[in-house]
Amino acid sequence: MLKSKIFVKKTRAGGVMKIVREHYLRDDIWCGSEVCAECKQESAELQRDACIESNLCTYPHYVIPDTNVVLHQIDVLEDPVIRNVIILQTVLQEVRHRSAPVYKRLKDIIHEKEKHFYTFTNEHHRETFIEREPGESANDRNDRAIRVAAKWYCQHLKTSESDADGLKVVLLTNDQGNKQKAEESGLLVYRCEEYIKSLIGNPELVDRLALSNDDKNEITSSKLLFPEHLPLSKIQAGIKSGSFLQGTFRASRDNYLEATVFIQGDGEESTEILLQGLQNLNRAVYQDVVAVQLLPRDQWVAPSSVVLQDEGAAKDDNEEEEDEEEKALRISAAEAARKPTGKVVGIIKRNWRPFCGMLNASHIKESTRHLFTPADRRIPRIRIETRQASTLAGQRIMVAIDGWPKHSRYPNGHFVRSLGSAGEKDTEQEVLLLEHDVPHQAFSQAVLSFLPEMPWAITPEEMARREDLRSLTVCSVDPPGCTDIDDALHCRELDNGNVEVGVHIADVTHFLRPGNALDKEAANRGTTVYLCGKRIDMVPELLSSNLCSLRSNVERLAFSCIWEMNHKAEILKTRFTKSVINSKASLTYAEAQMRIDDTTMKDDTTNSLRALNKLAKILKRYRIEKGALTLSSLEVRFHMDSETHDPIDLQTKELMETNSMVEEFMLLANISVAQKIYDEFPDCAMLRKHPAPPLSNYDILLKAAKSKDVEIHTDSAKALADSLDMARVEGFPYFNTLLRILATRCMMQAVYFCSGMDTDFHHYGLASPIYTHFTSPIRRYADIIVHRLLAVAIGADKTYPDLMDKQKQSALSNNLNYRHKMSQYAQRASVAFHTQLFFKSRGILNEEGFVLFVRKNAIIVLIPKFGLEGTVFFDTKDKAAPHLVFDEDGPTLKVEQHTFSIFDRVKVTISLDASNIQHQKIRMSLIEPVIAGVSVPAPEVEPLAKKPKLDR
Amino acid sequence: MPLITIVCHGLEDDLRVDGRGCEDYRHMEIETDVVSNTDGSAKVTLGHTAVLVGIKADIGKPRPMVPNEGYLEFFVDCSANATPEFEGRGGEELGTELSNTLYKVFNNKHSVDLKGLCISAGEHCWVLYVDVLLLQCDGNLYDAISVAIKAALFNTKIPRVHISADEEGGKEIELSDDPYDCMRLNVENVPCIVTLCKVGHRHVVDATLQEKACSVASLIISVTHKGTVTCTRKVGGGSLDPESIFEMTKAGKRVGKALHAPLMKLLQQEESLGKTRQKVGFLG
Repeated sequence: MLKSKIFVKKTRAGGVMKIVREHYLRDDIWCGSEVCAECKQESAELQRDACIESNLCTYPHYVIPDTNVVLHQIDVLEDPVIRNVIILQTVLQEVRHRSAPVYKRLKDIIHEKEKHFYTFTNEHHRETFIEREPGESANDRNDRAIRVAAKWYCQHLKTSESDADGLKVVLLTNDQGNKQKAEESGLLVYRCEEYIKSLIGNPELVDRLALSNDDKNEITSSKLLFPEHLPLSKIQAGIKSGSFLQGTFRASRDNYLEATVFIQGDGEESTEILLQGLQNLNRAVYQDVVAVQLLPRDQWVAPSSVVLQDEGAAKDDNEEEEDEEEKALRISAAEAARKPTGKVVGIIKRNWRPFCGMLNASHIKESTRHLFTPADRRIPRIRIETRQASTLAGQRIMVAIDGWPKHSRYPNGHFVRSLGSAGEKDTEQEVLLLEHDVPHQAFSQAVLSFLPEMPWAITPEEMARREDLRSLTVCSVDPPGCTDIDDALHCRELDNGNVEVGVHIADVTHFLRPGNALDKEAANRGTTVYLCGKRIDMVPELLSSNLCSLRSNVERLAFSCIWEMNHKAEILKTRFTKSVINSKASLTYAEAQMRIDDTTMKDDTTNSLRALNKLAKILKRYRIEKGALTLSSLEVRFHMDSETHDPIDLQTKELMETNSMVEEFMLLANISVAQKIYDEFPDCAMLRKHPAPPLSNYDILLKAAKSKDVEIHTDSAKALADSLDMARVEGFPYFNTLLRILATRCMMQAVYFCSGMDTDFHHYGLASPIYTHFTSPIRRYADIIVHRLLAVAIGADKTYPDLMDKQKQSALSNNLNYRHKMSQYAQRASVAFHTQLFFKSRGILNEEGFVLFVRKNAIIVLIPKFGLEGTVFFDTKDKAAPHLVFDEDGPTLKVEQHTFSIFDRVKVTISLDASNIQHQKIRMSLIEPVIAGVSVPAPEVEPLAKKPKLDR
Repeated sequence: MPLITIVCHGLEDDLRVDGRGCEDYRHMEIETDVVSNTDGSAKVTLGHTAVLVGIKADIGKPRPMVPNEGYLEFFVDCSANATPEFEGRGGEELGTELSNTLYKVFNNKHSVDLKGLCISAGEHCWVLYVDVLLLQCDGNLYDAISVAIKAALFNTKIPRVHISADEEGGKEIELSDDPYDCMRLNVENVPCIVTLCKVGHRHVVDATLQEKACSVASLIISVTHKGTVTCTRKVGGGSLDPESIFEMTKAGKRVGKALHAPLMKLLQQEESLGKTRQKVGFLG
C-alpha cells in the first residue's frame, strides 16, 4: 500500500520547498515475540518469559519506552538487567534526530543479543502507521504513533495463543499528557522513575536514573542563582544581527570562576572573549557551544592569575564566600591588560559526555545526594543521587550530566558506571584514555578481517613491481624496546665519488587500502598513543610490530627516498621508489653510538653509520644556519619494574649524536617528500606547518631574560636561535636550558593542513618553507596520506577520489590535529601519574630547582633532575596568607621580605599529596630561601637503602 | 460536399456536427489535487482536449512598481504527446502565445487577490508558478486551460509563514511545521475564458478542430462570475465586423456566467470529500 508523506521545508536560498516522499506500508512486519504464532518471523528477539522482579508489573511484560525516556535514561536501558524492550521506529528516528551519541548507544544495545531489544518498524506497518492530522503537532503525532503501536502489541499478543501467561506490554513515558491519553485507551503505562523504582530485585538501577525536570525543585534552593538562558530563536537572531557571538566555551583549568569563549572568525580573525564570575559563566560547561554578549568596555577585566579551585562542601546558600572569591578576581587591572569580557546569554549546543571522576561523599550520613568531582578541572562538580555512596567512595566513576537548572549551584547528573578503585594503574590509565578521548578499544572483527593472512610472504608479482634493495646494508636506529620500527637508513659510496643515502620507510599503505574498515579505524585513531608502559596502536599489532616493522634480517616492503649527495651533503639527485629491503641490524641509539665511537669496528654497517653521522652533522649545521630552532623540553623516562610495571627510577632522556643523526635524515626525507607531493598536487597535498608565534607570545621570555640582563631577539627565527645561543650567565650553566624551555612554551602548535586550503606553509621551528610527515606511517595517519600521494605521484599506486578532495583532506587534518593534541595530553598525564607513583614509593625528597614562572599567589618550580614541574602556593586556605606583592612587569612576587623572580634557585621538598585521591598531586614546599612562616624545615630524607633495588 | 459546407449549413439551423447547440460545451471532466508535489493542481478534459495545471508557490521579491502584491508566472508546455505538430520546437510559438494571454487574463489584482500573496511589502511575496501542460489537443485550448487554472488555484494550499523581526529590523521568515497550516486563495473573481469561433455567419462555443478549420477568426473573452468581461482578444487570420463582435461578446458573457456556478459547486463538492475522496488520476 502506498502512502505519501508531505512536508514543507525552507531552502537555503530562502525559498520554500514542498517535499513529497513515497511511503510504503507492508503487512509482513513481525512482532518479534517468541510467543507469537501468527507472525512468520525466523527468529524472535523478545523472550517468552520476560520476567523482571517488579512490584508494579508482576506479570511477564515487554517494555516500550517513548523517545524522551530513551534520550534521558539511556544509561538505565544499557543495564544488563533491562531486557525485552520494544524500540519503535518512531522512537528510533526521533532519537537519531535529536542526539547522535544516544542513537549510537541505542543501536549498540539493539545489536546485543542478550539484551533482547527489538526494533518494531511501526511506521511501515499497515496497522500502526498513522497520518498526521490537521492541528496536530509533530510531537503529538509521534506520541500517538507510539500509543497506536503499543495498543497494537496489546491486542496482537492477546489474540496470539493465550497460553502466553498474560504477557503484556508496558509503555514508559514521562509525559503527563501522553500518559493520560494512553491510560484512556486502556494501555498499561508508567512513568520511567515509577517503573525503575518498582524493580525491587535491582535497587542499584535507581542510581542510574537521570533526574527529570520535576525532581529538581526538591534539591535546590528556591533562589535563582543564574540568569535565564535565551531561547534558541532569540540567540540566532542575535547572532545574525551581531549583538551576540557564538563560540566554544573553554573553562579555565586553574580558576573555576573564569573561562574564555573562543570565537571562530573568518580565516585568521578568531578572537577570545573572557568570562568571569559564576553569573557570567551562566551554567556553561567546558566545550559547550554558547552565545555570549560583550559587556560594555568599562566592565572589561583582565584575566586573573589567581589559582582558584572549587573545593569544600556543597555551597548553595553561603554565597557570601563565593562573592568574596569573585571579588578577589576583580582587582583593577591596567587598562592595557583588559580583554574583551562578556557573559553567556544562552547555550546553542551542549557538549556533555560522561565524565570520569570521583564522589565526594556527603557529610550527612544516609544522604543520597552527593557531589561528584570530575577528574577534568574544567568541568564543574556534579550533584548526583546514589545510595551506594559507601561502595563508590574511593572508586573512579563515570557520571553524566542531566541538566543544570537555574536555581542550582551545580549541574545534576547520574551515575553511569564504575571504572575501578582510584589509584590503581589500570583504572587510572582507563580514566586518562577516556578523558582524552583516545579510542582504545580492541580492534573490531571487521577491522581485523582486512589484515593479510599469515604466514605472509612477498609475492613474486610484488617483487617484480618493486626495486630490490635487499643487498644494501640497511640498518635501523631506534629507542630501546621499540617494536614498531618505521624507518631504516643506508649510505654507500658511489663510483663517481658521491655518496648515496637512502631513507627506507615501512610501506604501510601496501596493507592499508583506502576506504576499508581497517583504514577508517586508523584514520579515526589518527596516531599511536604512547603511555608509560603501554602503547595504543593506530593499526593492529600484526602490522605495527611485525609485517610493517622494518626488523632486521627479514624481507620487508619499504617506501624509499634515495638521494645522491656529495661530501658536502648537497643533494644532487632525489628519487622515490617502492622497494624491498632486508635490514642488517636493528640498533638502539646507544648501540649505534658505541659502534661509531669504537674505532676497532670496521664492518659495513658501522662504516655506513659513520658516513651518515658525518653527513648529518653537516646537514644540521646548514639547518641551524638557516635559523632552525633548537628548543628544549625535558622528557622523562621511567625505569619500570619488569614484573609489577611500577616505576622504580626516573631520569630525563639523554640525547645522543645518533638521535640527531636519525632526526636529520628524517627531516630531509620529509622536506623532499613535501616538495614532491606539493609540486605534483598543489591542491591536495597534506603538509605540516608551524606558524610563527605572535610577538606578544614572547613577552614572558623577554621579561625573564631581561631580569638576567640578557637580550633576546624575536624578530625572526634566526635571530631568536642566535640570541638563544648567545644567552649565557656566568656561574649559571643551566640558564640556557631554562631559557630554551621558556622559549618552547612561547611556540605555536604545528598542525597538519591541506595545501589547497591555506597559503602559509612555513615551518617556523625547522626554518623550512615546506614540510610534511612521511617517516612514521606505522604510528601516524598523516604519513599514510603522504605515502599515498607520493605513490600516485611516482605512478606506483592508484589514486582514489577522497585523496584528491581538499574538503575531505581538510576535515581529516582537523581530526589528526585533534588526535595528536589529545595523545600528547594523554602522554603527559600518563607521565604525571607515573611520576606520582614514583614519588609515592620514594617518600619525601629534597631537591634543588629553579623558578620557571611567577604567579600572583604561587611560583612554579622546575626540578631539572626529574624534569618535574610543581607549584609552590603561598596562600593556603588553612593558614594566614603571608604578605604578597605581585609585580607584573618583572614578573616578581614579593613574599614577606623575599622577592622571587624567574630563574631563582630554590630548594624544595617534594612529597605526594594524596589528600585528594582524585588529583593526587606532587606537593612542593619551600625549604630555601628561608622565609619565616612560609618555608618549612627540611624534612629528614629516608635513607636510600630501603628502596627496592634498581635494575642494573 | 466539402466539409466547410456541411459545417456552415448545419450551423444555419443551429445544428453542429456532433449534435450540440451553438453555445454548448462538450463533456468536461475536472479533477483537482492530482499532482502531489505541487501546491495546487487540476486536470481538465474537454472532449479529447486534456490539460494539466500545476501551481507551485515560492517566495520571491515583489515587483518594484507594486511592492505590496505578489504575482503569477505562467509557462505553457506544448508536449509533443498532445499533437505531432508540437514535436521539436513546434509548440513553442503557441506556448508563448498562450502564456501571454494567460498573463493578461489572470495576472492582475481584479482576478486574483494579489495583495494576499504579499508577505512583507517590498521584500517578500509569494510567486505562483502556474505550469500548464497540454496533454492532448482537440480544440478550444483556452477554455480548458482557464478552467483548469481556476480549479488549480482553488486547490492551491500555500504554507503559512510568519515574519519575525529581530532587533536590528531584519526580517526572518519562519515556516509553520504543520503541513495542514496553510493559506487558501479566493478564486471567486478568477475569470474563465470563453472562445467563440466565427463559422460562416454564426459563432460557436467550444469549437472542435473541424469547426476551427472552418472558421475565419475567433474571439477570446474572459468573463468573471458576475459576467464582467475582463479581456478580449481576437485570434485568427480573418476579420470580424463590429456587429458580430458585439454579438459574440454578448454570447460570451452569457456562456461564461453560466460556466462559473457549476464549476464552483463542483470544486467545493470535491473539496468537502476530503481524504475520503477516491482519486482517479491519470489511469482512470
